[in-house]
Amino acid sequence: MSSAPERRALERGRVPAQGNADTLPKLLVRNYRKYGTDNVAIREKNMGIWESYTWADYYETVRALSLAFLELGLRPGDRVSIIGENKPHVYWFEVAAQAAGAAVVGIFADCTPPEVQHYAGHSGSRFAVCQDQEQVDKFLEIKDKLPDLEKIIYWDPKGLWKYHDPDLLSFDRMLEIGRPAAQKNPDLFEECVANTKADDLAVFFYTSGTTGLPKAGMVTHRSLIGMAEGLNEVNDFQENEEYLSFLPIAWIAEQLFVACTLIYAMRTNFPEKPETVQQNIREIGPEVVFFGPRLWEGLIRMIQVKMLDSSWMHRLFFNLALKIGYKMADLRMKGLRPSSSQALLFNLAHRLVFRNLRDNLGLLKTRVGYSGGGAVSPDVLRYFLAIGVTVKQLYGSSEVGIVTCHRDDHIKPETCGPPMSDVEIKVSAEGEIIIKTPNLFSGYFKQPEKTAEKVIDGWYYTEDFGHIDKDGQLVVMDRMEDLVTIAGGKKFSPQFCEIRLRFSPFIKDVLAVGRPDQYFIGALINIELDNVGHWAETNKIPYTTFTDLSQKPQIIELIRKEIAKINEILPEHSQIRKFINLHKEFDPDEAEMTRTRKLRRTFVEDRFKDLLDGIFGETREVEVVSQITYRDGRTGTTKSTITVNQV
Amino acid sequence: MESRKVKMRADNVCLNFGKVQALAEVSFDVYEGEILALIGPNGAGKTSLLNCISGFYHPQLGSICYEEQDISRMPPAKRARLGISRTFQNIELYTGLTALDNLMAARHIYLKYGPVAGGFFFGRARGEEIRNRYVVEQIIDLLEMEEVRYQIVQALPYGLRKRVDLGRALALEPKLLLLDEPMAGMNVEEKEDMARFILDIQEIKHIPIIIVEHDMDVVMDIAHRVVVLDFGRKLAEGPPSAIKHDEQVIKAYLGQQ
Repeated sequence: MSSAPERRALERGRVPAQGNADTLPKLLVRNYRKYGTDNVAIREKNMGIWESYTWADYYETVRALSLAFLELGLRPGDRVSIIGENKPHVYWFEVAAQAAGAAVVGIFADCTPPEVQHYAGHSGSRFAVCQDQEQVDKFLEIKDKLPDLEKIIYWDPKGLWKYHDPDLLSFDRMLEIGRPAAQKNPDLFEECVANTKADDLAVFFYTSGTTGLPKAGMVTHRSLIGMAEGLNEVNDFQENEEYLSFLPIAWIAEQLFVACTLIYAMRTNFPEKPETVQQNIREIGPEVVFFGPRLWEGLIRMIQVKMLDSSWMHRLFFNLALKIGYKMADLRMKGLRPSSSQALLFNLAHRLVFRNLRDNLGLLKTRVGYSGGGAVSPDVLRYFLAIGVTVKQLYGSSEVGIVTCHRDDHIKPETCGPPMSDVEIKVSAEGEIIIKTPNLFSGYFKQPEKTAEKVIDGWYYTEDFGHIDKDGQLVVMDRMEDLVTIAGGKKFSPQFCEIRLRFSPFIKDVLAVGRPDQYFIGALINIELDNVGHWAETNKIPYTTFTDLSQKPQIIELIRKEIAKINEILPEHSQIRKFINLHKEFDPDEAEMTRTRKLRRTFVEDRFKDLLDGIFGETREVEVVSQITYRDGRTGTTKSTITVNQV
Repeated sequence: MESRKVKMRADNVCLNFGKVQALAEVSFDVYEGEILALIGPNGAGKTSLLNCISGFYHPQLGSICYEEQDISRMPPAKRARLGISRTFQNIELYTGLTALDNLMAARHIYLKYGPVAGGFFFGRARGEEIRNRYVVEQIIDLLEMEEVRYQIVQALPYGLRKRVDLGRALALEPKLLLLDEPMAGMNVEEKEDMARFILDIQEIKHIPIIIVEHDMDVVMDIAHRVVVLDFGRKLAEGPPSAIKHDEQVIKAYLGQQ
């Protein structure tokens, strides 16, 4: 049953490979002693070339920053907010703050000033570390409302040359403070590191806030390292394995890999910019990647569209290869061995098609890909397995860490895999998933009453509805609160429909809605502008705006067909009977989604109440006047006529 | 104001095309480190004036002095070496080359190696290419063009081509930068980006920038001084706040409200 790495790990027992290095800063010191300048720890694309930092560089930078933090008055138990995109500096500042005994609060780079204010204010951060002018501006704007904030530190000086705020400090200035301090007192840094304890708080994670104000889950070094060890049991990470850092740092998954890369001395690669990831990933050829479901879906959409664009010959070969790939995927998912002819065919398909395809995606060397942070369509996992990329689904949260993960030769795409070795999962009488894990978080900051609501007798109540299947794998259906009993008494899970609809290249997002007094399901469809636009172009359908395109009869027909196709695999009571092509995209800037791109269901349902009433009523057309908030903060209104469509 | 150093002086510039008078007795100064906006209705002579400065047109009367040197008769290539660099209203780039190659091509005035070294890419050629690539990469960083570095210019959207055009002008390491309608045809977000880039450039390089622009909001936001042209004549000159309330300007250009 268990895979090779799993067996190896079991034979070894849970060896704490890191000895007594039980915090992230201690691990850094250990790696520095072990690898020094021999191994590259971090690579970053900067000014068009890849720059490398060895473990010694990593150590020295962190030492300087940490001592600078001390000089500036950072004390154990403090909090430091970090906001920015993935850059080595994030890792440096984080470990530096932790070495000084502080905990780190990660903030999503695209958060608005009020959001930032909540995170930095609620956590009582005394220091804010910002990437660039954009983030510094946010903090300067809200500085007066943050009584605990003392210094704002930034690392990219572009545009900040003429800022003279006394509380503003550059990365270089930090090094100027820290380096002499290191010379004056060479042992101080390691003394501080030695003082860090496994039970110190390492990171604060703010819940994505699908409901109410975000709460801060506090996670210790012990929990982070425990999660990383658990994941390693399943996947056996190797020294110098290439990891692509791309997930937001405010998210548990990325923090998990901050820990993994330190524990297993993996190499972290930082893309030049979020926009250049697709180019950079090819240059790196990462062996371990972790993307959210949206990104995996996006990659498939990209393949599908490029195939539509290619010649009939290419399409023929591609479709043939995909058929072979799917067959192979089905075998692999069941842990079966292919016959020699099947293996030969797959090898051929790999050489002719998949190798190039994976190379273009930058996934040629990928040993394992993870998807987490939301449900992913089983079709997505199957698709990637078919082209030869193993993508495993993880289930977890910042409160409980990684709870389940697929094992190599037993990937059931509709499940989240079996629990990690030290995690217990039960399902309550109401169908709620509850979890017991040694890596449990330390409660919500300043909100013990909220913690008590979620953790009862050591069991964490996830508010997720699901069950454990006959193979012991966890199936997560939906959020408890999102389940609806529709007329006729059947339970309807919106998420189950939505993730399957999102597999369509033309559907970017969906809100599936069931109502207690209705027998059918309605959906608001957010069309995928690029792909639908492309389709319209090839079919000679002129259009002007997103709204115009979405309401074209041919596009409605296109979406209708897509829905009809997916309806076939949905249980009858969950099939979508009426839908509307939304006139705009769901947007986190308008609070319709969380920063991790999850729909804020109640909010969206409320906002588009008119449209939903249209679906569940008799109307054929709905007039909408919508408020638009532009990126620059201005608002405007648009008026459009939206048609309600039958499937 | 007057204590500041004059970088460039247009003195009594007159330009005729046959009987059409494009510019009539236009005089103004450009000071070190300022952003000067040239505004005016269509056909007021803004681009003609820019062409006189960059050397595409030679005024029949009057003079253009740059760093106290009369350059009225100097060909454009020589002016580029003096440090006068410009962007074009209609974007003039090598459309078949990548964004990066366009910027590198603009560096040719700083390349000294010969064909042999270039052909085998050793010694001086290698060193110079690397040095120049570094300069170009700094521009790419400044203008946030990492994503399009290796893309063919032809395939880029308009807003980005404008940005490459600006990058090309910057690659010449200008001491006076002329921007001909850098924001024409852009949406709000692109305009804001461009405005930010212009301010960044001015902040890092401390060079005077002359900008021809139609978008009043932008001009009023970023320019230190404004020169207003109408039918080839200078109508007014002054800080944006004064220009905004100048009766003549309102009448000719901003429209009566």
